[in-house]
Amino acid sequence: MMDMSFLKDVFGEFVPILPQIVMVLATLTVPALFYANRSGKACAWFSLGALALVGILVGLMMHDGTFYGDYAGLFSFDPFSGLMMLLFLAVAFLTVLVSPDSTEVTIHKGEYYAIIMGIVTGMFFVASASNLMVLFVGVEVVSISSYALVALKKNDPRAAEAAVKYFIVGGLSSALTLYGISLFYGMTHTLDIAGVAAAVDTMEFTGAFALATIALIAGYGFKIAAVPFHMWAPDVYEGAATPVSGFLATGSKKMGFVLFFKVFLMMFVVLRSGFATQEVQYLFAVIAAVTMTLGNIVAISQSNIKRMLAYSSIAQAGYILIALAVMSEYALVGGMFHMFTHVFMKFGAFIVVLSLIAAGLGERIQDYNGLAKRAPFVAFAMLLFLFSLAGIPPLAGFTSKFVLFSSAIYVNGAVVTQWVWLAIVAIVNSAISLYYYARVVKAMYVEEGPTDALAIRGGHKFAIALCVVAVILLGVFPTPLLEAIGDAAAHFFLAP
Amino acid sequence: MLDALTGLGVLEYVWLAPLIPLLCFVIAGFFGNRTPQGGGYIAIFGALAAFVVALLASYEYVMSDAYSAGEAFVRDLEWLVFGDYALNFGVYIDSLSCIMMLFASFISLLIFIYSVGYMDGEGKKKRRYYAEVSLFLTGMLGLVVSSNYLQMFIFWEIMGLCSYLLIGFWGFDHPEGDEATENAASAAKKAFLVTRLGDVCLLAGLFILLHMFGTLDYEGMFMQAKIDAVVAANPVKFPVAMALVFGGAIGKSAQFPLHDWLPDAMAGPTTVSALIHAATMVKGGVFLVARSFPLFVQSADVMLFVAIIGGVTAVFTATMALNNMNIKRVLAYSTLSQLGYMVLSLGAGGYLVAMGMETGNAELIGLGVLGYSAGVFHMVNHAFFKALLFLGSGSVIHSTGTEDMRLMGGLGKKMKITSITMLLGSLSIAGFPFFSGFWSKDLVLETALAPASHGLGAEHWFTLLFALGMITAFMTAFYMFRMWFLTFAGKPRERAVLSHGESPKSMTMPLVILSIFAVGSGLAIFANFLCHAAQSLEVGMRWIMDAGRVGINEHVYDGIAVVKHMFGNVWTYVAIALTLVGMAIAHAVYAKRKFEPEAFRIENKGRLYKLVANRYYAPEIYNQISWKLGAGVAKAVDLTDRKVVDGAVNGIANAIIGAGDAVSMSQTGYVRNYAGVVVLGVVVLAVVFVLAFALTGGI
Repeated sequence: MMDMSFLKDVFGEFVPILPQIVMVLATLTVPALFYANRSGKACAWFSLGALALVGILVGLMMHDGTFYGDYAGLFSFDPFSGLMMLLFLAVAFLTVLVSPDSTEVTIHKGEYYAIIMGIVTGMFFVASASNLMVLFVGVEVVSISSYALVALKKNDPRAAEAAVKYFIVGGLSSALTLYGISLFYGMTHTLDIAGVAAAVDTMEFTGAFALATIALIAGYGFKIAAVPFHMWAPDVYEGAATPVSGFLATGSKKMGFVLFFKVFLMMFVVLRSGFATQEVQYLFAVIAAVTMTLGNIVAISQSNIKRMLAYSSIAQAGYILIALAVMSEYALVGGMFHMFTHVFMKFGAFIVVLSLIAAGLGERIQDYNGLAKRAPFVAFAMLLFLFSLAGIPPLAGFTSKFVLFSSAIYVNGAVVTQWVWLAIVAIVNSAISLYYYARVVKAMYVEEGPTDALAIRGGHKFAIALCVVAVILLGVFPTPLLEAIGDAAAHFFLAP
Repeated sequence: MLDALTGLGVLEYVWLAPLIPLLCFVIAGFFGNRTPQGGGYIAIFGALAAFVVALLASYEYVMSDAYSAGEAFVRDLEWLVFGDYALNFGVYIDSLSCIMMLFASFISLLIFIYSVGYMDGEGKKKRRYYAEVSLFLTGMLGLVVSSNYLQMFIFWEIMGLCSYLLIGFWGFDHPEGDEATENAASAAKKAFLVTRLGDVCLLAGLFILLHMFGTLDYEGMFMQAKIDAVVAANPVKFPVAMALVFGGAIGKSAQFPLHDWLPDAMAGPTTVSALIHAATMVKGGVFLVARSFPLFVQSADVMLFVAIIGGVTAVFTATMALNNMNIKRVLAYSTLSQLGYMVLSLGAGGYLVAMGMETGNAELIGLGVLGYSAGVFHMVNHAFFKALLFLGSGSVIHSTGTEDMRLMGGLGKKMKITSITMLLGSLSIAGFPFFSGFWSKDLVLETALAPASHGLGAEHWFTLLFALGMITAFMTAFYMFRMWFLTFAGKPRERAVLSHGESPKSMTMPLVILSIFAVGSGLAIFANFLCHAAQSLEVGMRWIMDAGRVGINEHVYDGIAVVKHMFGNVWTYVAIALTLVGMAIAHAVYAKRKFEPEAFRIENKGRLYKLVANRYYAPEIYNQISWKLGAGVAKAVDLTDRKVVDGAVNGIANAIIGAGDAVSMSQTGYVRNYAGVVVLGVVVLAVVFVLAFALTGGI
C-alpha cells in the first residue's frame, strides 16, 4: 500500500479536514473550467475525476488508520465520518455519471456540476462535524444548493413550483433547527455535541428541553422526509430533473440520517445515563412506523413513477428510522447498511427512469407497458431494483432489511420484546410495498405495449450496470461492507 | 514434473471448479447463439477446466501432509454475520469431495462432448441446453466442495432447478408432437415436486441440526465432544433430524417411496438422463448420506432404516426393469436399483459402525467402514458404466429414432462400436467377474450380510436384505442382457432396418473412453481405493476410526487382502453363478429364442406382469393420494381461500388503497398546507413527548 505519511508533512494539523479541502477546491474549479471552455462534458469529467480522487483519498486515509483525528474541535475524521463520506461520494458519482446523457438537465451546465460538488462539500461538513453550528452550516450549504439545483430546470414550470415549495418548507425547517440548537445552547452553554450530550445527561426535564428536542427532530426530519415533514418530497422529486431527484432521494436523505445519528445517538445513548432515552426512542419508533406505513400506502395510488419512487423513498426512510428507535450498535449497523444498499437500488431505479426519459418514454407507469421487449436489459435491471427495494432475496435490499429488522428483535445480544411490534410493522409494510413494485414489473413484463426498440444511451447503461452489480453483490456477499460498517458503528459507540 | 504440479497451489483455488462452469452458464446463456454449436464448446471448456482444477487440486491434496494425517482442507469465507451468528461460504476438501469432483467433472465433460453430436439438430434451443447443463455441473461440484450444510443445500437446490429445466427441455415444441411435449412438461413437474418433498424434509432436518449444534459447518459439527454432547442432550431429536436428512437423500437419489420421478425423467434428452443418472443429481443423495456418515452412525436405528430403504429399492425397482420395452426406462430402473445398493451399503455399514461403537468391537467398525467405502466405490463404478450405457442407448436412439426395443434388433452389425461398448457396460453393471461392477457389488453384498453373520440385533432384517441383494444381482444380469440382446442381436425389426448406422465420432469417442473406465474402474480396488475412500471418515470421525483401527487395518486398508477375502467367501461364487444364470436365461430367451417370450405371454397377461408393467401402480397410488387427499384438502383450502382469505385480503387491500387515495388527496399541492402540517406535526410530537414523560414518571 502507498505510503501516505507525506500528507501529514504537507498538511500538518489540517490533515483531518483534507477531504473537505480537496472538495472545496474542486467545487471552485468547476465554474472556472466552464468559464474557460464552455463545455458541460469537460465539467462532468472533471467532477467525476475529482470525486473519484477524493474517494480514493478517503479510502486510503481510512485504510491507513493513522489519519483519524479532529481539527479545532469542529471536525473529526473517524471511521464513521469516512464511511459516510464514501457514501456521499458514491451518490454524487452516480449523479454526475448519468447527467451528461440526460435530456432533462439544464443548459447551465457549469453551475449544475458546481452545485453538485458544493452539496457534496456540505455533506462532508455534516459527516465530520463535531459541533452543532458546523452541522448547521453544512446542512445549509446542502439545502440552499439543493433549492438551486431543483430550480435549475428553468423551462419547466413543475420544477419552478417544486423549487419554491422546497425552499419555503426547507426554510421553515432550518428555522426550527436553529431554534432547537439555540435552546440547547441556552441550556448547556456549549455547541460541541459531546459537550451538549454530557450536559443533557445531568439535566432535569424542562419545557425548553422538550421543545429543543422536538424542534431538532422536526428540522432534521424534513431532511429525511419523515412523516409529517415529508410533503415536499413527492412534489420536488417529480418536478426536479430525474438525476437531481435521485440525488436528493438518496444523498440528501442520507445526510439527514447522519444528522440524526450524530445528534440523537450521541446525546441519548452513547453518553447516556438514561435520561430521556426511552422517551426519545418511543418518539422515533412512532415516527418510523407512521412514516413507513404512510409512504407505502400512498405509493400504491401513484401513477407517476417518480412520485411512486418518492413515496417508496419515504417508506425506506421509515425503515432506517428503526435504527434510531432501537438505538443499539447492531441497529446502527443495520441502518447504515440499508443506507448503502438504498443508494444503489433507489438510485438504480431513478437512473432507469431517466434513461427511459432520455429515450423518449413518459413518466407514467402505463408508459412502461411492454418494456421488457423494447429494452430488455433496462427492464430487467428495473425488476432487480424494485425487487431489491421490496426486499426479495438474494438482492441487497433483502440482506440489509434483514439486518435492520432483526436488530429490532435482537438487541444487545439478546431477544428483546420491546421493539418486536416495530419489526412486525416493518415486515407487513414490506409486503404492502411489493404490491406497487410488482405493478411496475407487471407493466413491463405482462402488459402489451408498443414494440419498437428503445435506444438507451451508453452512459446510462453503464451506470445501471454498476448499480445492478452492486445490488447483487451487496445481496450475496455483504461481509466486506458489513465489516467496514461494523468498525464505524463500533467507533461511534466508543466516542469520547 | 509432478512436484511442479503440487507447487501450483491449485488447492487454494479449488472453488474455481464450480465457478468456471457457472461463468460458462452465464456466457453460454447470454451469448451462446453467437458461438458455434450454440455454446457447446463453452460448456465443454467449462467442464474441461473444472476437471483440470479438480485433478490438480485432488493430486495436491492427496500428496499433502493433511491427507495422510486425516485432515480436511478447509477454507471458509465469512459470508453473512447476523449478530453473533455467522454463516460461512467455503470449501471442505477430503477424499470424498475429491472422488466426487473428479468423476462428476470427467463424466460431464464426456457427456458434453457427446452432446455436440447428439443435440446437433436442436437449432436455437442448444443455447438453453448448454447453459443449463453447465449450471447443473456447477450445482454438483458446488455441492461436493461445500464446507457446510447450508451452502450444500443451496447447490442441492440449484441441481433441483436444473433437473426440472432439463427434463422439461422439450416441455414446449417437442419434435414428436403435442403428446410428447405434455409428457416432458409433466415429467419435469413430477421430478421437481417429488424431490421437493425430500428437500423439505432435508431443510427441516437441517433446522433441527442447526438448533442442536449451533452451526452447520462440517468442521464444527464433526467433533467427538460436540456430537457426544448433542446426542446425549437430544436422544429423540437427533435421530429424527437424521431421518429427515435422509429424507432429502430419498428424494434426490430416488429411493422408495419417492423413486417414481426418475423413470419419468426419461422425457428429457438422453444426454440429460446420462447426466442425472451418472454424474450429478441422484449421486447427490448418496453423497449426502456419505458426507453425514459421522452423524448417521450415532443412531443404529436410523442406519437400519437407511439399509432397509436401500435394499427394498434395489429389488423393487429391479423387477420393474424385467419386462419394460423402453430402452431408456430399463436403464432408469437399473439406476434406481443400483442406487439402492449404494444406500444399502452405507446403511449396513453405518449400522455395523454404530453397533461396533456400542460394543467396543473393532472388527465391526472395520466391516462398517468397508461398507462405507464399498458404497462410495459402487457410486464411482456406477457413474462410469451408467454414463456409458445411457450414452450408448442415446446412440441407438439417435440412429433408429425410437426408444422401443421391440422395433430394434440386429443393430450389432450396423453399430459396431455402440454395441461392443454397451456390451462392456452391461457386463460391468451385471457384475460379471473382473468387470468394475463385480468388485463393488460384491463388497456391498458382503456388508449387507455382515450384521447377520455377526449375530447382531436386527439379523433377520439383514438376512432378508442380503437375500434381496442377491436376487437383485440375478435380475440385473437378466434384464441388462435382455436389453442388449433385444437391441443388438437377432434380426433387425421395423426401425432397426431404417437405422442410419453408427453415430458420429463425437458420440462414439466418449463411448470408447467411458467403456475403458467402465471395465477398468473396479481395478482401483488394487490401488487401495477403499482405503482412500475411508480417508474421508478419518477426517469426519477420527475417534471412531481410532477405536476400530484393528478392524479397519484388517478389512479396508489392504486392497489385495480385501480381494483375497472376497474370493475366500462362498457367497461371492453364488453371486457369480446367479449372474451367469441370469445372462444365460436372457441369452436363451432373447437371442437364441429357445423359449419364445411370446410363450410367456399368457402368463405375462397375469396379474404379476401387469403389476410390474404398471410400476406396482406407484404412479396411480401417487395420483390417488393426491386426488383423494390432495384434492379434498385443496377444495377445502380453496373454499376458505376464496370466501375467507380472499375476502379479508381484498377488504384489507381495498382499505389500504382507499387510505392511500385519501391520504394522497391531502397532498393538496398548496405550500401553506405543507407548512401547516409541519407545524401541526411539531405540536403533536411535543404532546407525545411530554405525555411519554408524564406516563413514564419522568416529570
